[in-house]
Amino acid sequence: MGMLKYSIGRLLRALVTMAAVLSAVFLLMRLLPVEGYFGDRSDAMNEKVKEQVLKSLGLLDPWYKQLGNFWKDLLHGDMGKSIVYRKGVSVVKIIVPKAKVSLKFGFAAIMIEKLAGIPMGVLMARYKGKFFDRFGNLYILLINALPAAVYYLLIQLGGFGLFGVSMLYRPGQIGTMILPVISLSLGGIASTAMWMRRYMVDQMNMDYIRLARAKGMTGSQVAFRHMLRNAFIPMAQSLPASILFTISGSLYIESLYSIPGMGGLLVTAIKRQDNTLVQALVLLFSVLSIVGMLLGDILMMLLDPRITLGDRKGEGR
Amino acid sequence: MAELEKVCTKSFLPEERRISAQGGKVFAKNTESSAGREKILSVQDLVIKFKLRGQVLTAVRGVSIDVYRGESLAIVGESGSGKSVFAKSFMGLLDNNGWVDSGSILFDGCDLTKISREKEWTQIRGKRIAMVFQDPMTSLNPLRTIGGQIREALLLHGSLSRAEAKEQTYRILADVGIDDPKRRYRQYPHEFSGGMRQRVVIAIAIAGRPEFLICDEPTTALDVTIQAQILQLLKGLQKKYRLTVIYITHDLGVVAKVADRVAVMYAGDIVEVGSCEEIFFDPRHPYTWALLSSMPQLRAKGEELCTIKGTPPNLYQTIRGDAFAPRNPQALVADFKARPPYFYVTPTHAARTWLLDPRAPKVEPPGHIKRLGEEGGWRNG
Repeated sequence: MGMLKYSIGRLLRALVTMAAVLSAVFLLMRLLPVEGYFGDRSDAMNEKVKEQVLKSLGLLDPWYKQLGNFWKDLLHGDMGKSIVYRKGVSVVKIIVPKAKVSLKFGFAAIMIEKLAGIPMGVLMARYKGKFFDRFGNLYILLINALPAAVYYLLIQLGGFGLFGVSMLYRPGQIGTMILPVISLSLGGIASTAMWMRRYMVDQMNMDYIRLARAKGMTGSQVAFRHMLRNAFIPMAQSLPASILFTISGSLYIESLYSIPGMGGLLVTAIKRQDNTLVQALVLLFSVLSIVGMLLGDILMMLLDPRITLGDRKGEGR
Repeated sequence: MAELEKVCTKSFLPEERRISAQGGKVFAKNTESSAGREKILSVQDLVIKFKLRGQVLTAVRGVSIDVYRGESLAIVGESGSGKSVFAKSFMGLLDNNGWVDSGSILFDGCDLTKISREKEWTQIRGKRIAMVFQDPMTSLNPLRTIGGQIREALLLHGSLSRAEAKEQTYRILADVGIDDPKRRYRQYPHEFSGGMRQRVVIAIAIAGRPEFLICDEPTTALDVTIQAQILQLLKGLQKKYRLTVIYITHDLGVVAKVADRVAVMYAGDIVEVGSCEEIFFDPRHPYTWALLSSMPQLRAKGEELCTIKGTPPNLYQTIRGDAFAPRNPQALVADFKARPPYFYVTPTHAARTWLLDPRAPKVEPPGHIKRLGEEGGWRNG
């Protein structure tokens, strides 16, 4: 009951935030130079033509009317048409296929990160100071110290040279996904393991862990029955957001393997002054972060019985 | 004084001579009062050391004590006196940087200091020796239900099925005075008050049906009315489950309420041990005098409280003589030279102080301590 109330309350707050953010982003976009709406041949247009273009796009209306139209179109799933990037094509049609590709790679990478990183962190904490911990720390250090481009290239060349795996991604061939997914997940494994280890060590020094040991549990029983879930909670909050944000893709990996993903799309759109595409992408990323945080909070609520929105009764933790 | 100094530098008294303070009267080792009782725990010359920042600290310096089945023993002492470390060593729960350096802890015939594997400890912990911790607010896992945490202890040590363990948990919850156990079973620690949580911690401790219970400052984190309830509960459970209980505390009020015997610890050593009456009404060690003097009950309203001057000794260094001597205004020269043995005042009452040596000058305890012994009335007040 409390959970349902909490979820609904949290959802409503997220919707309000979203409406506010989207409106604010739209209005800020109005401050961009209008040149972005004329396409490549703006120098060939005279003032009259330019005014015509702006008028047809509804950009000469007062701001409140523009905002109203923006919301009306948005609710119909219309985010406008690309001006430069792919002239005349709906930005939704440009973004969705690319987002799907990036999400596919990103999701696979996140799964590997968590499935490998969490056990690694747990074991590092369990054998703190011993061989496995040192080995894990070495890995974390290497991954963080080495520029990613170095091991990305090594993996690509190594995979090709040793196993004959294709150096480029071919849609429909699952095997060609292996190298980019591995490259994407290495950094994540390191950071997941590092944080997991840290949260496990934090839990180790808690009083209730002492009590669990005094009950007569072995170290492993304490680690798995008591510490794991408690240590996972701080990681859970960011999990949905990190999955969602894989939509934005990785510029380097995607160009290395020629994956038609989202990597660098926003930068390209900004550089080429494709205002509608920029606007759509910025809106998308705002929505993703709001949804990510919402899902993170709900996940936390499911894992941690102490959380209920705005309920001040549970003060004593 | 000079005379005594000469005596002591030669050699100090063999412990077997057990001389009473009045001098002359020698007690045999096991007289009536302790003969019929079975030793459940016997600690001999226990030394516990810690490694801290590259230095070795001696937290417990050769402590010996016997605990008899069914009694309640209070270990009192100020913070850092080693009382908690001492009791934790009975369960192998010393922090990773600490170890038992020498000595033995015989528990029911088995030397606990010889246990090295965790598997063996799990047969002791919770099952035979259990512990109640100081802070109930942090002693329970916040993410698991109260019932689940108690049941877990039952499942670890018994051969109960999950359903049986649940039923048993309801009974234990009722035993520790928690109403409506079926509803409480499903609740989480944050839905319980501090006193209720301490009841749950006690429930977890007794779930494994231990014989021996260590209560490490069980009431320190609770307010006064709840303290009395918890102590009452522990006393009741001790009777019902035939427990031997060790209370670790710095609260002499708690001691007076629950203890049969009292051991006073100072700087990693038990300086005086005796029955509750003996310690309160006939204390012999200057540190015990000082400790009792600092009780606010002894003072009239508005009068300044008595404090012990100075600081406890540095445990990184070897302590010579009586550890309390530097803070003791009436210290003898001998106190600085050699560590006193235990002198027995009665078969149950012993103190480590040269004052009890027959050759020592007569040093009177402070006036209010003497009055305490004569009146003996404050305990009921």
